Amino acid sequence: MSEAVVTEHAEPILRLRGVGRRFGGLHAVRDVDLDVAHGERRAILGPNGAGKTTLFNVISGDFPATSGSIHFLGQDVTGVAARHRAKLGMGRTYQKTRLFHGLSVEDNLYLAVLGVKQGHLRPVVVPKQDEELRGRARELIASVHLGGRESTLVGNLSHGEQRQLEIGMARASDPKLMMLDEPASGLSRGERVALTDLLLGLDPSITLILIEHDMDVALRVAQRVTMMHDGRVIVEGTPDEIRANQTVHDLYLGRGHQADG
Amino acid sequence: MRRLPALTVDRGIGGLVLVFAVVAPFLVPQFWTANLLTQTLILGIVAASLIFLSAYGGMVSLAQVSIYGIAGFVVGNLTTNGNTKGLNLGWNPWWGVVLGIVIATIVAILFGALSSRSTGIYFLMITLTFAVIANYFFGQVTDLSGFGGISGIPAPKQIGPVDAHPWRLYYVCFGVALVLYALMRYVVRTPFGISLQGVRDDPVRMSSLGYNVRLHRTIAFAFGGFVAACGGVLFVWWNQHIDPASIQLSAVIDVLVIAVIGGLFRLEAAWLGAFVFVVLNNYVQRLGFWSLSTRFGTVIGLVFLAIVILSPGGLMGIWERLLSLAGRRRSQTPTAQAPLESGTVEPSV
Repeated sequence: MSEAVVTEHAEPILRLRGVGRRFGGLHAVRDVDLDVAHGERRAILGPNGAGKTTLFNVISGDFPATSGSIHFLGQDVTGVAARHRAKLGMGRTYQKTRLFHGLSVEDNLYLAVLGVKQGHLRPVVVPKQDEELRGRARELIASVHLGGRESTLVGNLSHGEQRQLEIGMARASDPKLMMLDEPASGLSRGERVALTDLLLGLDPSITLILIEHDMDVALRVAQRVTMMHDGRVIVEGTPDEIRANQTVHDLYLGRGHQADG
Repeated sequence: MRRLPALTVDRGIGGLVLVFAVVAPFLVPQFWTANLLTQTLILGIVAASLIFLSAYGGMVSLAQVSIYGIAGFVVGNLTTNGNTKGLNLGWNPWWGVVLGIVIATIVAILFGALSSRSTGIYFLMITLTFAVIANYFFGQVTDLSGFGGISGIPAPKQIGPVDAHPWRLYYVCFGVALVLYALMRYVVRTPFGISLQGVRDDPVRMSSLGYNVRLHRTIAFAFGGFVAACGGVLFVWWNQHIDPASIQLSAVIDVLVIAVIGGLFRLEAAWLGAFVFVVLNNYVQRLGFWSLSTRFGTVIGLVFLAIVILSPGGLMGIWERLLSLAGRRRSQTPTAQAPLESGTVEPSV
């Protein structure tokens, strides 16, 4: 069905070959090959300690890979610093919210919008440029349903609101690849539904990689699922294949768990 | 809108302090103007540079006094003539101003670049090292100063001689302090300043958003150095003398104590802390009982201890708490958490 798309972007947006990351004696990620196509929604699943977050850190450049290569948009970014990868079009969130607690909601998004633009060091306010940045920040606030909280200090937001803001932060740079690390963690049932809707409503041209423990969220949003265990990729497939896969059940869902539907 | 009254009171008091500062020379004895208030303004500038770095950049720097001293030594070397240590170049004092500030700021860029990888206690230790190096450098390089220091440093003739016209220097210090204060207040709302606060809150997140965190820290440190350097030039005009003891460890600690007593989270606190420090320093030395006159260190130490225990936000923290208490009583709603102004936040220790 997607032959046109495939020929248009024959190259995957993200290609990992033999990627590994050691922390001293601990081999957190080993020999990972991963291809993510343009516009794909990919979920990464795996038990705690499987190396999912480390894999994210290696892709985003927060930690450099200790082996292997990473290509993003056809370019080798293995040795490129995190801030340059952001400018190439990667945006991410963190498992534990990483926001600027001493700044307002609007200033947080202002920084996220400014990040991939020129003028980080400008010591004067240029009204035209500033209005543009703030206008974009306010658009993002509305898009993650935080309208009316513009001037609230982020430290005073509820946990759910902070998770929403995290997604706004990741979107602010108009990334081509967005990586969300457990966006649903700590959310109430209602907030999870709202989050799923928000993710399903994202621009389809954005490629999305998602680490998620909540199977409802992960399997509803994702088109393909990569299963990790012990630092390695063990299975990859569609949500249906993953649901049906015996190894996944044994490792992750626990023996005796029945897939419902 | 409910916290408008607190903000109004805050600004009202600020306005009153400014008016007082303008008319003070007509109201208080000359000793106060020429010594206590001028010294308050100068120490306040240095402490403000520390508070700026700490509150907005998360960098508690012990090198501010050294940078201020470097500016002072440059002025001393360039502008004295004949009878003292140093280069005795005898240049116009205005050249001293320009070069003193430029050289001190360049040194601040170097210090900043070297320490920009470090945070927290490690940053504190590195800047402490800079302070010690600067102190011994001027003590041992006798061509530039030596332990005896440089005496007879002149202020420009438009301002000095300082002994004859103490008001002039007072107003110059007041003007410079006001301009630097306004500049710092302005900078924190610019793209540079907001990003600096982002670096303070989460440097890792800032890099993943596309920022060069080390460069940002370095430039912020240079800016703090520039502010301190302005204070250094005023200091040597006021004191007419500088020696390595002016920037030794106890002077470094004095400025840190000033900043903490005032409150490490708000720029105005620098001058509040400096005022308390200077007045205590002066009057304790005149007290005749309990041999307190020679024990300023003990007295300021106890004041410091009391403030750290009672209010980690310093005197300014106590003030803000009073304001928010009053505001709560009036409106019966807990709005106390909201700080008075955006961008000011208590550093969580």
